[in-house]
Amino acid sequence: MQKLAPAIALLFLTFNLNAQTSNTPYTTLSDSIQLQINGYQRILQNLQGIPTGVTLGGYAEATYNQPTKGDGEMDIQRLVLLFGYKFDERVQFVTEIEYEHVKEVYVEQAFVNYAVSNGLNIRGGLMLVPMGIINEYHEPTTFNGVERPSLDNKLVPTTWREMGLGVAGRIDAWSMRYQAYLFNGFLSYDGSKGTLSGSSGLRGGRQKGAQSTLDHINYSAKFDYYGVPGLRLGLSGYFGKTQAVEEAPELGTIIGVSMIGADFRYNHRKWAARGQWIYANLSDTAVYNQQTGSDLGSALKGYYTEIAYNVLPLANRQRLVTFLRYENFNTHHDVAGALLPNPNFHRKEWTFGWSYHLSQGTVFKVDYQNKATAGNQKQNQFNVGLGVWF
Amino acid sequence: MMRIVWLILFMLPLKERFGVDENASDLPAHIIKKIEKEVSKFYDSSDFVLETRIDAPETQIKSPFLVQGRLFEIMDNSKSLGYAFYGVAPSRTDTFDYLLILDQNFVLTKAKILIYREDYGGEISSKRWLSQFYEKPLDTQFQVGESISGISGATISVRSMTQSVNVVFSFLKNQNILHESSD
Repeated sequence: MQKLAPAIALLFLTFNLNAQTSNTPYTTLSDSIQLQINGYQRILQNLQGIPTGVTLGGYAEATYNQPTKGDGEMDIQRLVLLFGYKFDERVQFVTEIEYEHVKEVYVEQAFVNYAVSNGLNIRGGLMLVPMGIINEYHEPTTFNGVERPSLDNKLVPTTWREMGLGVAGRIDAWSMRYQAYLFNGFLSYDGSKGTLSGSSGLRGGRQKGAQSTLDHINYSAKFDYYGVPGLRLGLSGYFGKTQAVEEAPELGTIIGVSMIGADFRYNHRKWAARGQWIYANLSDTAVYNQQTGSDLGSALKGYYTEIAYNVLPLANRQRLVTFLRYENFNTHHDVAGALLPNPNFHRKEWTFGWSYHLSQGTVFKVDYQNKATAGNQKQNQFNVGLGVWF
Repeated sequence: MMRIVWLILFMLPLKERFGVDENASDLPAHIIKKIEKEVSKFYDSSDFVLETRIDAPETQIKSPFLVQGRLFEIMDNSKSLGYAFYGVAPSRTDTFDYLLILDQNFVLTKAKILIYREDYGGEISSKRWLSQFYEKPLDTQFQVGESISGISGATISVRSMTQSVNVVFSFLKNQNILHESSD
């Protein structure tokens, strides 16, 4: 199967390319407009003139991962259904129900948005923490690669969402978007064991709004600037403390979390580039590790950068994008107390591949990943994926 | 014969039957107010009247990118200052309202997002981004990635606004009102 996988992918790709070239080329503008309608626009057409109403949408990712050593895996990684209900011009409820690996059900988002004015919204509920790019923009047609960047798994624990309350809006004259929230934080101790680890950092501590424990409020903010054509810059911050079940303060299972992130996305004609840098400082990890037997680092740091090029003409409805991404991140950038840094937690990954956008909301992806660690562990992986967003 | 005449008369919109601009004020008051505010700001004057020239162009254009629209002529007494086009286009899960101000020769001089309802894609309200549409003749067809730069994270609304301006431009280009004014 391992050897067959690239051949199958190539066949699929060739088939689709042929299908694309055999499409009747459209000549008039109105044709091209008609061709660009997709699901959400059809829904909107149906809602024309109706000031209140229901919105349906969603996204899904089907993936096939084939490491060079070991078994392959085929998975409906995510199927997320979006429902929105607009009560009036100002009040909207948005929720996303997520099926992970077919059988696990989560609520990815569920919040009420109150539009005070054009530039100010107040929202509350289960919301995405704005950190970096992918945690907020994670629909499969918006990023290259079958899998999300690994940094956005180990450092930024996507899909990172918690219960909270905050404001979001824009300053149009400055081409700026802002978000500021009060959130519930990570759970670092569940009453019997520690949930944070050296390998995956804060990931195990996500509470996701499920009977979550609250001891300390956490603060989160993000600013985006898009005043330079084609460029978008982001600056994110997250500060607070973790939560612990039945925690006596002297027990030491609560840690402090400060995370900052900077990101950019740039598009110029057929070229696109993006990058992200994340640094997290965790305090009191020496005591935490002692109490829980964990190996949590005291600083997490990393970045990735990606360049992409669309080989098809810009006027085409479809896009065929080739990309190259390099990631370098370390969940043991620094350690406290007696803990020694594990070199295998310092990962360096190359991903090269193709994203073939069959339409605005459908993408077929294929890529090859070369994953290595500073401790000389190596693993290569071939991935094929299908993504939809409507 | 009379039957056919009656049928034709019935099929004509009211306005053409009686010559009455009965739709002039059926936009919600707060929308009219917003349009007037922007026009007033642009011309630095409040001495104008908005007269509907083309109502409901969406019934003729039939594009998903123009949910609703109206063309006003901006009149100062009997003098025309220019035109204001009010349009509604789809965003990801909702619609947004925009205003285009065009001069007497139908050259776009100002674009403004009047109401953006959802948070997602609101970046298109950026003054800098909207200025990319300015000073272009009506036969321009804008293309995202070429003449109009995209905004990461606002792809749907960027496309929607661009296509909406495109359909409005090509519609206005074919209107008699334009040829009358350029005579």
